[in-house]
Amino acid sequence: MTDDKLRTWLGAVADELIPAGEGMPAATEVGVAGGQLDLVLAVRPDLARALNRAWVLAGEYKPGPALRLLADLDPRAHQAVLEIVSGGYYTSDLVKRLLGYTGQRPVPVRPEDYPAYLAEGLLDRVVDRGPVHRDPDSLSRRQ
Amino acid sequence: MEHADVLVVGAGASGGVVTGALADAGFDVLCLEQGHWPDRTDFPALRPTYELEARGGWGGNPTLRGRPEDYPVNETGSDIATLMYNGVGGSMVLYAADWPRLLPSDFRTNALDGVGDDWPLTYRDLQPFYERTDRAFGVSGLAGDTSIPEGGEYPLPPLPIGDGALRMARAHDRLKWHWWPAPNAVLSRPYQGRNACAHYGSCMQGCPEGAKASTDVTHWPNAIKAGARLITGARVARILTDAKGLAVGAEYVDTEGKWHVARADVVILAANSVGTARILLNSASPRFPHGLANSSGLVGKRLMVHPFANVTGYFDEPVDAGGHVGAKIVSYEFYETDPDRDFVRGAKWSLAPTGGPLNAALPARAGNSVWGKDHHAHVRAHLGHSLSWCIFGEDLPDEGNRVEIDDSLTDSSGIPAPKVTYRVGENSRRLLDFNIERAQRSFAEAGAHRTAVESLMRFSGWHLLGTARMGDDPATSVVDGWGRAHDVPNLYLADGSVFVTSGAVNPTSTIVSLALRNTEHLIENRREQRTPR
Repeated sequence: MTDDKLRTWLGAVADELIPAGEGMPAATEVGVAGGQLDLVLAVRPDLARALNRAWVLAGEYKPGPALRLLADLDPRAHQAVLEIVSGGYYTSDLVKRLLGYTGQRPVPVRPEDYPAYLAEGLLDRVVDRGPVHRDPDSLSRRQ
Repeated sequence: MEHADVLVVGAGASGGVVTGALADAGFDVLCLEQGHWPDRTDFPALRPTYELEARGGWGGNPTLRGRPEDYPVNETGSDIATLMYNGVGGSMVLYAADWPRLLPSDFRTNALDGVGDDWPLTYRDLQPFYERTDRAFGVSGLAGDTSIPEGGEYPLPPLPIGDGALRMARAHDRLKWHWWPAPNAVLSRPYQGRNACAHYGSCMQGCPEGAKASTDVTHWPNAIKAGARLITGARVARILTDAKGLAVGAEYVDTEGKWHVARADVVILAANSVGTARILLNSASPRFPHGLANSSGLVGKRLMVHPFANVTGYFDEPVDAGGHVGAKIVSYEFYETDPDRDFVRGAKWSLAPTGGPLNAALPARAGNSVWGKDHHAHVRAHLGHSLSWCIFGEDLPDEGNRVEIDDSLTDSSGIPAPKVTYRVGENSRRLLDFNIERAQRSFAEAGAHRTAVESLMRFSGWHLLGTARMGDDPATSVVDGWGRAHDVPNLYLADGSVFVTSGAVNPTSTIVSLALRNTEHLIENRREQRTPR
């Protein structure tokens, strides 16, 4: 499944999708076809079968034609390749650091004592405009 | 063989509330749950692969997720895929915890608008139960919302809305459109032994902090202390009935494939609108040839799932939408019927964040992917620079939208699986199109430089409603106004299957309030309850 030829092909496809630029590395520079592929398939084993299909269907083609072929022939395999490549790329610590993305980390919530929307009177005006619900008993509604 | 006063099937939202109320009242209650206790340490929030896992084993579709406790659903004939979680806490484990109420008109759509049917109860009947369940689950919100009578009062202050939602609130202020800080079943402060929200932003893949309300943390511990028995890994195949046509218990299979029977004087189904309809239809017998409690022919019919559209707005400036993933603010500006429009009823809007970098690259909702040399600019323009209006449209009941038993599909225990047929109606399509246009206007007013639209999201079927509606007439309804089956006087339904119409709001608050109301009625009338003994 994850033999060298598949990894080489996937790496070429990955760099076609996510090349270096704008201060960001190319997909293969962060191991999308190497260690990151192993990481992705470890948590998403459901993608392995579709990747194998993609390789069988389009492994003989260069990246651009391969992606177009997959989109036509097997949209699920095409989607799996996109998910594997982008999933591997955006779970890279380097990529997250370059984007300034900190992920899911605990930050204690602090209810605001006096939120800006109250200070600005935004809700006063909502209330002044009256109910937005109809009362079935009186059929009343703000016009 | 297990025996109980009351057998509850399903340990989710309504199952937890029902079991807790009955156990507190001294009933011997047994609950069968096909899933297991969620393990908070296993939730993916803290793993670097969080976004990837959210699309796989922590997604909401049971067929794709394919855990042993899940059952497959044939949805090839459905515009919308059903979503659920099978385990203690039920789909609350994966919900966003938006906690709105139905509006008064939702109970009277036929009288007011000539569509759907009126409920055998009113908003006023349910209001005290809304207030009690708000306290039991720990709801954070701000009193005074003009979308409901008396504006609601909540036990905890509202969660912070963030700069992004404040921007949208100011836009609605200029447009003179309704908005309000959203009520959420997420703790803004420590409450009843639970921690406050820690802003993991992973609500829909399980809250590792326990700050999001789900009955596995809010109700089940106390129910078990009060004596309730919960058997997990117990998948109910059918409800059994005696010669008098009364329910006597359920046949279920454990995780090792061993079959059992649990007997009870009263049976309550709380397995969600798909699961409950499936069990009733699978319980067909010579006495009930078309399925249990189905003399009306309505079991499984009138499935409502809230057609869902999504509009994302992109801003040049960063917009803070961190924290819980449920609604930051809501708008009911276009909720009620307006005779000048070409549709009836309306929609609720919820403002939500748009996720992390994987979602920026490969959006699960509105938005597109850009690959190649412009990929990085596209991701940077999305990540931390976008907000999303989630638009829930009212789903009018239609008997063609239904749950049936599939001819060949089964779960891993060999129990026939459900088949869902659902098509978005013409009224819903017009309603969504109208609201999409208004949401684009909302973003334009807020300064968004562009918007992206998903006009109907397939994987949005969280709100499983209908399939066994309430009503006073046994010919046109499955259960009465207290959730009791017209055909089987000791069989009750406690989940969203009993909804007469859908409204256009997230339904959990209404499901649990209705479950509490109906259970207390059962308790009060215990001496009149017919039982097999």
